[in-house]
Amino acid sequence: MKIIYLTILAAVLGLCLWNLFSAKKPSLQATAAMVIVPLLLRLFLIN
Amino acid sequence: MKKHHISALIFLAIALVAAGIAGASFLSMRENEYIAKGPGVSEVKMLSDWFPALAGSPGDTEVYILRSESSNDDAASMLVLGGTHPNEPAAFVAAVLLVENAQPSAGTLYVIPRANNSAFTHNDPQEGSPQRFTIKTPDGDRVFRFGSRATNPVHQWPDPDVYIHASSGQSLSGNETRNLNRGYPGKADGTLTEKVCYGITELIKKEAITITVDLHEASPEYPVNMAMVAHPNAMPLASETVIGLEMQDIAIGLEPSPVNLRGLTHRELGDFTDTLPVLMETPNASQGRLRGKTDEALVLTGIDPWYVKAEKLGRLYVPYDGNGHPIEERVGRHVAGIAELAFTWTLNNPERPLEFSGLPSYAELLDTGLGIWLKAPEQ
Repeated sequence: MKIIYLTILAAVLGLCLWNLFSAKKPSLQATAAMVIVPLLLRLFLIN
Repeated sequence: MKKHHISALIFLAIALVAAGIAGASFLSMRENEYIAKGPGVSEVKMLSDWFPALAGSPGDTEVYILRSESSNDDAASMLVLGGTHPNEPAAFVAAVLLVENAQPSAGTLYVIPRANNSAFTHNDPQEGSPQRFTIKTPDGDRVFRFGSRATNPVHQWPDPDVYIHASSGQSLSGNETRNLNRGYPGKADGTLTEKVCYGITELIKKEAITITVDLHEASPEYPVNMAMVAHPNAMPLASETVIGLEMQDIAIGLEPSPVNLRGLTHRELGDFTDTLPVLMETPNASQGRLRGKTDEALVLTGIDPWYVKAEKLGRLYVPYDGNGHPIEERVGRHVAGIAELAFTWTLNNPERPLEFSGLPSYAELLDTGLGIWLKAPEQ
């Protein structure tokens, strides 16, 4: 169960990173960066 | 490199720094706070010594044993659980105060200050609770974590939609699956929370614990408050104890353990073991639904204008005025209750006494504050 959860999480994190680097508007990049923070904390099982 | 890639790298760097700062703060909650070994502590074991499956898990926790010199296999014993719900700070601090001050002269005292060790490692989301609170001692500050009501979901996940209590089949909301006080008597191959419950039940059975006291706090709007809840087997002991506390001017109610509310210490430990289980509640505004600003001061003083207003509207089950319910009072109620339980037991069972000294009275705690009863951290 945990592996599936972490795999989904890693995939969503990858999409966010892709979005961060493909978006051209700074506001969209800032949004992607904000979403990345909790995803990282979850991926490393910190919170 | 394109311009938007440079800005993306800057945003990524900011995100990594933010995650690093937040991560360090969250990880710091996994460090146990200092508890001094008081003069009465004869041994410190781990719960996994009674249930080895817990070894190395976030559910394993220290068990402080305070054994009198005269204690033998037939001697009376008491188990005190603090930190069943780490968002109920007086319960934890009262257990620490016992470890650091109690000196048994007859019988054995077992204290588990962090009964749900995992729940100390995080806060309840969306509550705005402080991570820690500080009590000043003559030699320095003592810092205690303010944790969550439930096991950390990092350690036990996912929650089911409906939590089915293992031994009764009772259905509760899914998040109650991480509530230690809904999991008794526990399950050896269950969730982490059920395993901790099982470990505590094993300790009670193997050590033939005479009395088990589960320390709690409750919202001022919760009906069972400033009260002792007792299993039918413990009711004679608890009723005499309540009278003793009332004679010390400590207002306290007595509640029977509901037959159809399962998984709680005061029900299951009485049904499944020979111990006499009681649970004590004190009023804690910092976990209430009607509270205003939630900070360290609220945890320590209980002063909250919204609760004063709610009291005037007749919405509370405890008296509430501008003085709040300070932590000295709440810890004092717990410590006085424990001392009175031991006194009442000894009065009725002089051949198997349970006596300990070194504890402050309720009046002393109100007078002196908590600080002088807590040891300063070792440098």
